[in-house]
Amino acid sequence: MESNIASYQDTSIEKVITKKELNRMVWRSLFLQASFNYERMQACGWLYSMIPALEKIHKNKQDLAKSMKMHMEFFNTHPFLVTFIMGIVAAMEENKEEQETIRGIKVATMGPLGGIGDAMFWLTALPITAGIGASLAIDGNILGPIIFLVLFNIIHFGLRFGLMSYGYNTGVRAMQSLKENTKYVSRAANIVGLTVIGALIASYISLKIPLVVTAGQAKVALQADVLDKVLPNMLPFGYTILMYYLLNKNFSPVKLILLTVIIGIVGKLVGLL
Amino acid sequence: MFGEALLIAIWAFIAGIDLFDGLTHVHRPLVTGLVVGLILGDLQTGLITGATLELVWMGMVPLAGAQPPNVVIGGIIGCAFAILTQQDPKVAVGVAVPFAVAVQGAITLMFTIFSPIMHKADTYAENADTKAIARINYIGMLFLGLFYALIAFLPIYFGADLAKSVVSSLPQWFIGGLSVAGGMMPAIGFAMLLKIMYKKEYAMFLIIGFILATYLKLPLLAVAIVAVCVAGYDYYMNKNNTDKPAKREVRSHGI
Repeated sequence: MESNIASYQDTSIEKVITKKELNRMVWRSLFLQASFNYERMQACGWLYSMIPALEKIHKNKQDLAKSMKMHMEFFNTHPFLVTFIMGIVAAMEENKEEQETIRGIKVATMGPLGGIGDAMFWLTALPITAGIGASLAIDGNILGPIIFLVLFNIIHFGLRFGLMSYGYNTGVRAMQSLKENTKYVSRAANIVGLTVIGALIASYISLKIPLVVTAGQAKVALQADVLDKVLPNMLPFGYTILMYYLLNKNFSPVKLILLTVIIGIVGKLVGLL
Repeated sequence: MFGEALLIAIWAFIAGIDLFDGLTHVHRPLVTGLVVGLILGDLQTGLITGATLELVWMGMVPLAGAQPPNVVIGGIIGCAFAILTQQDPKVAVGVAVPFAVAVQGAITLMFTIFSPIMHKADTYAENADTKAIARINYIGMLFLGLFYALIAFLPIYFGADLAKSVVSSLPQWFIGGLSVAGGMMPAIGFAMLLKIMYKKEYAMFLIIGFILATYLKLPLLAVAIVAVCVAGYDYYMNKNNTDKPAKREVRSHGI
């Protein structure tokens, strides 16, 4: 253990990281999860991504080995935002910071970034760009998938490269400024995300009751004459809320999928759906 | 059929790696629909089915370690099925999901198998062997890609005719029911998004989005832009409110 805590043999500090190394790390970061596993999660992919910087910084082979061993430790963060941590850690390695400090920074940043990344990509960027693409493709327009890929990857690669230099340039200082703004950034992402989900519910769930009730002379179409008069799309909204409720009751998504299939088939069989 | 199944398997190889590694999102059903449509010679059905599956999977994202049904296999099998059997894209959802669930189980198994290899990587790290570390990652990717290719190839090569005869023998209420279920399925994804994001203080925004789309029939992009405007306003209001007292404090220390 002792050798792990001690700092490097060669403690001379020299600015060796250039744009070239940072860019190589960004490209390598795309393979962060190539060797994903339940034991170390992204550790080996993280080390692979850090190698261009580590090789340049640690000319002493023993120092390089020591550094590489530390970077094989458990690591897991959001795959899109990882370059931010890479930038910071590269700056710290270049400064020959103690391994303990570097490890602390890695662990401190990987968790929060996971949450921010989920909010930014899975809950905001993907639903919006894929929603735009799908709305075109569903009419058979070939531009749908293309527009989706272009929009998504402008955001994706913009952030990957941007965060790398942001992380590196501001180094440890970046941590503080991010911490101050995190609350508001995730708040803004939340507002956009929920508004879009509301619109998605209204636009993309198809659930209608074709039942027509005959009462003497009058025919009442349940959907058009009753439900749509109260609130159009109330069934999709209601079903989403039901699914949300069941999820919170610890129903797994797979169970809900099964339940939906059963409701669909039974509903069709009895003529209600 | 062999040629087509092989091309689709190659696409599965690429998409499988993209899902877990490249993350350029060519693995989404939206894109898969285009590619599978091109391979099987029915672009329109491919696009429409891909878009339908995209909406189902939109909310099924790997949040906080959760493993959603596999989007790559779901997209490929669903689109291929819709084109080969000429069924309603919504029916394809019902066919794609069981495959996708099974495959995700297998992937979980693979992440377990990869674990012991990390001890080998430790040894490479101790020897500062950067090339061996790279090799482990490349092999991991190859392994994953081949797995996807195989899973996509088998049902399409052997199952197309079988699927066709099974589908034609199914009663109409069953197929129709699957179609209804497919239309409802996006609700699960959206509910999963809500589970992560929903907070009482933001509930109004969910309703605003719903109303803008229901009554004003605004397209999604328009709704998103409105939301960005509101969020931007909110961001600056909050930031200004907290920045000012902080600056004053610093000044008083300075004096």
